[in-house]
Amino acid sequence: MQKLILALAIAVLTAPAQAHDFTSGSIFIEHPMIQEAPPNAPVLGGYVTIYNNGDVPERLLGIESKAAEKVELHQSVVTDGIARMEPLAEGMEIPAGATVSLGDDGTHAMFIKPDRRYQAGDEVAATLIFENAGPVEVVFNVEERSAKAAPNHEGHGK
Amino acid sequence: MTGKTSTGMRKLRIVLWALVVIAAGGAGFLAYGPKPTGVSEVEAIYAKPFQLVDQNGAAVTEASFLGKPSAWFYGFTHCPDVCPTALAEMSALLEELGPDADKLNVVFVSVDPERDTPEIMKEYVEYFDDRITGLTGDLAQISTMAKDRYIFFEKEPMEGGDYLMGHQASIQLVTADGRFFGTLATEEGFDTRMAKLRRLIGQG
Repeated sequence: MQKLILALAIAVLTAPAQAHDFTSGSIFIEHPMIQEAPPNAPVLGGYVTIYNNGDVPERLLGIESKAAEKVELHQSVVTDGIARMEPLAEGMEIPAGATVSLGDDGTHAMFIKPDRRYQAGDEVAATLIFENAGPVEVVFNVEERSAKAAPNHEGHGK
Repeated sequence: MTGKTSTGMRKLRIVLWALVVIAAGGAGFLAYGPKPTGVSEVEAIYAKPFQLVDQNGAAVTEASFLGKPSAWFYGFTHCPDVCPTALAEMSALLEELGPDADKLNVVFVSVDPERDTPEIMKEYVEYFDDRITGLTGDLAQISTMAKDRYIFFEKEPMEGGDYLMGHQASIQLVTADGRFFGTLATEEGFDTRMAKLRRLIGQG
């Protein structure tokens, strides 16, 4: 619920500039976003919120983009103080009626070896591949990393 | 009857004297035995020798980062979220410290020196904050450093010959004389991390 509110808040905040969402059947894709990284960063982290308005569970199987050598779905987990990354081998499930974000619990899309430097304001075209809905064309907005823009942001939530 | 009592008394007396001896021994142990480990007593693991290269290609040793408190993060540039987040948060903390940021060394050590050359480290760390020093070098040197400092890292192979690194997630805080002081973790929130940094700097 908190995520939904957050997603809605982000939607409201970004709405005047550009409503950044995509729809395919009962799948509502909100605000695909890549965090800007150092100029030579070999990987970029991508995030997106997906709402399944249908009656059957949906699954994000993968992401394709010409802007990167490949895109993988990963989850970063911190266990006993050690950060590790694991592939989301089964993709990401979006239960019927649920909203799930790549970005929850350390999940992210990893854009490996981007074809050039992407800076805040740039756009990265990509295709989300769903089990039922099939391929859906989206655009990831490249945005500034939030810890830099709003140093106090996290403190408020805790 | 009397004899029995006096035997009982003698036994009691022996027990009491035995207790005195034990108590004396205990006091002696507390006074002269090994000290309990407190912050001031921690071994200066960050003063153990190493030789690495900073992002400008200059040779650095343990001495380069002593004399000021420091914050250390061990990561790698092929890291999409944990490492850039840690560095961006560190930069935000330095910003908030203002002029006090000069009282702190912030160091990012690559645990993937095979891919992270000094040139790559330079562009990477300076994107976040040019007050952050990026270290890389010989894998054996980095392994020794990590072992000396109880820092874990390991290579995790992926399909297609690529690999990722498992690594210590938190930032390690270190006193000016190279002793472990504490950690900073993302989930603590900005204000808690800030308070810890100020305490570290205050202690010197």
